[in-house]
Amino acid sequence: MSTAPLSQPYPLALLRPAAPLLPLLPALVLLPVLALLPGLVHGGGWDLIGRFALAALTPSLDPVVIQAALAGLAITLGMALLGWIASLALGVVLGLASSRVVWQVCGGCRWPAGMIRRLLALPRSIHELLWGLLLLQLVGLQPVVAVLAIAIPYGALVARVLADLLDGLDSRRLEALRSAGAPAPAALLTALGPPLLPGLLSYGGYRLECALRSATLLGVFGLGGLGTDLKLTLQSLEFRELWTGLWLLLAVMLTLETLLGWLRRRWLMPRRLDLRRGGVGGRGREMLLLLLALPPLALLVGRALGVDPQALLHGQPLPGLDSADWAGVWALPWLQLVAGTLLLTLLAAALAVGLAPLQLLLAGPGRWGQGVLRFSWALGRLWPPPLTALLLLFLLQPGVITAALALGFHNLGILGRLLLESSEDVGPAVEEALSCAGSGPRLALLYGRLSPMARPYLAYGAYRADVMLRETVVVGLVGAAGLGSQLLESLSAFAWDQVLALVAVYALLTLAGEELSDRLRRSLLAGH
Amino acid sequence: MPPLLDLQHIHVAGRDQPRLHDVTLGITAGERVALLGPSGAGKSTLLAVANGLLTPEAGTVLWSGEPPARSPRLRRRQRARIGTLWQDLRLIEELTVQQNLNAARLARWGWPRALLNLLLPLESEANAAALEQVGLGAELLACSVAALSGGQRQRVAIARLLRQEPQLLLADEPLASLDPRLATELLELLLRQAEAPRALLLSLHRPDLLRGFDRVVGLRRGRLLFDRPMAFLATSELEALLAELYRGEAVGLMP
Amino acid sequence: MGTGGTTQADDLADIVGQSLRMPMPIRLRATAMVAGLSLALVPLLAPLTGGPGAGLPPALAQQSQGLKVLRISAIPDQKPEKLNRLYPLVAQELSQQLGVTVKYVPMVDYPAAVSAFRTGDLDLVWFGGLTGVQARLQKSGAKVVAQRDIDASFNSIFIASTRSGLQPFRQQKGLTSLKGRRFTFGSESSTSGRLMPQYFLTQAGVKLSDFADGAPGFSGSHDATIALVSSGAYDAGVVNEQVWLSSLKDGKANPTKVIALWKSPGYQDYHWIAQPNLDQRFGKGFSSRLTKAILAWRPSDPKQKQILELFGAQKFVPASASSYGRIEQVGRQIGKIR
Repeated sequence: MSTAPLSQPYPLALLRPAAPLLPLLPALVLLPVLALLPGLVHGGGWDLIGRFALAALTPSLDPVVIQAALAGLAITLGMALLGWIASLALGVVLGLASSRVVWQVCGGCRWPAGMIRRLLALPRSIHELLWGLLLLQLVGLQPVVAVLAIAIPYGALVARVLADLLDGLDSRRLEALRSAGAPAPAALLTALGPPLLPGLLSYGGYRLECALRSATLLGVFGLGGLGTDLKLTLQSLEFRELWTGLWLLLAVMLTLETLLGWLRRRWLMPRRLDLRRGGVGGRGREMLLLLLALPPLALLVGRALGVDPQALLHGQPLPGLDSADWAGVWALPWLQLVAGTLLLTLLAAALAVGLAPLQLLLAGPGRWGQGVLRFSWALGRLWPPPLTALLLLFLLQPGVITAALALGFHNLGILGRLLLESSEDVGPAVEEALSCAGSGPRLALLYGRLSPMARPYLAYGAYRADVMLRETVVVGLVGAAGLGSQLLESLSAFAWDQVLALVAVYALLTLAGEELSDRLRRSLLAGH
Repeated sequence: MPPLLDLQHIHVAGRDQPRLHDVTLGITAGERVALLGPSGAGKSTLLAVANGLLTPEAGTVLWSGEPPARSPRLRRRQRARIGTLWQDLRLIEELTVQQNLNAARLARWGWPRALLNLLLPLESEANAAALEQVGLGAELLACSVAALSGGQRQRVAIARLLRQEPQLLLADEPLASLDPRLATELLELLLRQAEAPRALLLSLHRPDLLRGFDRVVGLRRGRLLFDRPMAFLATSELEALLAELYRGEAVGLMP
Repeated sequence: MGTGGTTQADDLADIVGQSLRMPMPIRLRATAMVAGLSLALVPLLAPLTGGPGAGLPPALAQQSQGLKVLRISAIPDQKPEKLNRLYPLVAQELSQQLGVTVKYVPMVDYPAAVSAFRTGDLDLVWFGGLTGVQARLQKSGAKVVAQRDIDASFNSIFIASTRSGLQPFRQQKGLTSLKGRRFTFGSESSTSGRLMPQYFLTQAGVKLSDFADGAPGFSGSHDATIALVSSGAYDAGVVNEQVWLSSLKDGKANPTKVIALWKSPGYQDYHWIAQPNLDQRFGKGFSSRLTKAILAWRPSDPKQKQILELFGAQKFVPASASSYGRIEQVGRQIGKIR
């Protein structure tokens, strides 16, 4: 980690924030936000917010409502599951295709791997919602659209992770097998399969949690399932029905998270994906069984949802491109749109990354504080950002800050959970030592717990910021929020030329963001 | 004056057998007490009870005659008077030596100073003095703990203990895994610090470093086997006690 | 970008890094197992529990398997419960009249309905003026089937919360009193909740940027507009007259909280639009049978009476594409039609 040379003159250390302060620094953005907030509150909707909060305690228990919510939930879960399975399959194939080792062994050259890698950056850079909306236009309102919308970007992500894992593996076993005359595919499977499985499953499990959130979000934009019900009930201000769906979704989400956490522990998933270490993947047979169970499960769920891959063959061209008005596209206020998007990303990222440790600090290590924190973060993960945005509009004027609050709240839930998990991993030793020497519980937490977590947490925050850049599109309906708002506006005017241009700009931005966040992450993990 | 540490009939439950059973031990100012026993005897548990980390199921703990305070503020003040040198040191790797030394002052500092410590070098002179006492130079202050050698870390941990200015010093096997020369040096350093009005309770795995202690306490399977002043303990008697203490243990008896 | 070394996976695992030490108690383990199993099986229940409005996919899937199903839908201009009450009735009635299976597919927003019509996933859709024009422009040959008796001269009502202090006015010029107020439209693509009101506002010299915060809100539906204005979240808004009257009638709009300011001049609005290929799919003359069936609904039949009441009309009347020329023109002016 930090290796200051012994001879470092003293004053150089002046005003360099130490590790525990680093994750809190982004929370400084609260100062301007809080300063601007009173000017944004129009205060008209306190009444509604009150009703919304009250409805949380009295959700509708009408059997019809519950049944409809359950049915919606089943569809959402099914879409998530199918999209996830498809993304794993896609990811494995593409991951193998973009691995240098695989090309080296099978083809004798490495360059195609790099090329495929670069090509895969494009599907990855486009948010699943955009894929959904585009596919909706090309294929029509088919269940397969939601599945594919999840599978494409997720598959590309899994591919990248898999390829990096493969190329990072120790290739000596592989070489030994090859020189013993084993054919290339067999050698690859024997040498790389077993050590790869736990890492892939661990990452895959995490993607399943994401897939559930994505499927809900896609529903909010009309692709069916519980998300659709949530949006409609919120829009018609039927808060009690809304909470029926939200509580059910919360139950499913927490169950899924618990289950995956349990599996990770049971299978001794690697702490970091360092596969050279022994003792990894204690239960290979169970893992394999699970993998084998996935395709039939996919078939069953697919049939239940009526997913029909053939629908993809009956695609239709986008309308109206022949009458494209490229001059009009050029005339869009691009600079303003891009600046708005970046500002929104930075605000939301700073809020989410900085608030999680700040809240942890404020809540303290006590059981009650932690309980409240866990619950509020679970709600953050649960609520799709567009719903939060709609709620905020009851109180706030539309704009970048409102959108950032909605996006930040959601990601705060995700970051907070990671923070808690890694803080359990840090162990209580140093914190205890500080407490024993008489420091208060919160100071002990700041010094003892945040110090070791600071850099890895910020590294994850950098990655998350890149994800948020992609996600800005989902809060576009708050208005005045950059490319996302313009995109939804263009979509509702069926201006395909504009939509395509906007998607392209989005892709470019997120690719640049990915590069930037990669560098930031590497430097954070490497020390200074 | 009441003893700095007064443990009466302490009982701590364990999985199969109690980790501590009916242990009574008092330490007054100026005393330097060695706690001996084979591994698993309950030495760390006893120290954890002594510094308040662990609340025993039964028995009374008194610090300077006071039971553990209810109010968090008083409790912190109470804890600040007890300093612990941990077996694994528990330094904060990511911070500088200076910041680590100042972490010992957190009990007395409010939030503003605690935060400032993470931004600016604070109380450099006091920290330099503490380092000097443990035989380290002030140039280490700006150094990150992660960059120190093993011996330097041990000393920094002791310096942190000094900066806490505790009355009661507890040390959990501070000499394990050190080479003999360094172990002797550090032990002398600790013994020097523990003059009245301070006191020292130090646990040892091996009984070969008893010189300089005022009392020796033997702990075996959670029970107090003996508690004798060194001044009136003949070598042969000590040997007999130790033989009893380590009966059936693989560890060698005397050097 | 293929930058090797650290990946998301690395730092994810770093952060997520699970504690490997604590074994789970057996009961918890069993619970997790059961929970996991049930989670995996929930999606299989989808078709069993799928009531009305349960979600579109199963309904649509049947079509792609070649069954002859007439899929009807509507722009979601009102509360879902009301739509879910009305359109299954319509489906039932049409099914009886035409002898084919009719299925109602709910939509989440206006553009989605237009898109689904364009891609051929919906056969008969109850569109607003603007969305109808958009749909016909994107699907050449689409047929205007019918409109309600009230749609030939449809009106918007500008409403205000009583707290806002805004007073009703008679002249269109009165719209200027909305300048500087928090104002909400309905859906962005609504004819009576956005398009024509914006046209009348512009005529009166009120620009969208004249509203408080520099832009109007978009509540999403007429019901939402009434609720938001009643609550005071917005000072004023605009809804279609039929929804306004029925909200007053069933008590959803409380006159002590929300009042009408001004009734707009009339314009053409809602209408049924059908796919051009219905005759090929359902047999010769199907389109005209469909039109006749809808035009034949009368209050004398108890079921049709219920439908007509929910539509807020006495009967349906023939309509033609040409009557929507003005809507198209205004749509082009504000950039909603290109």
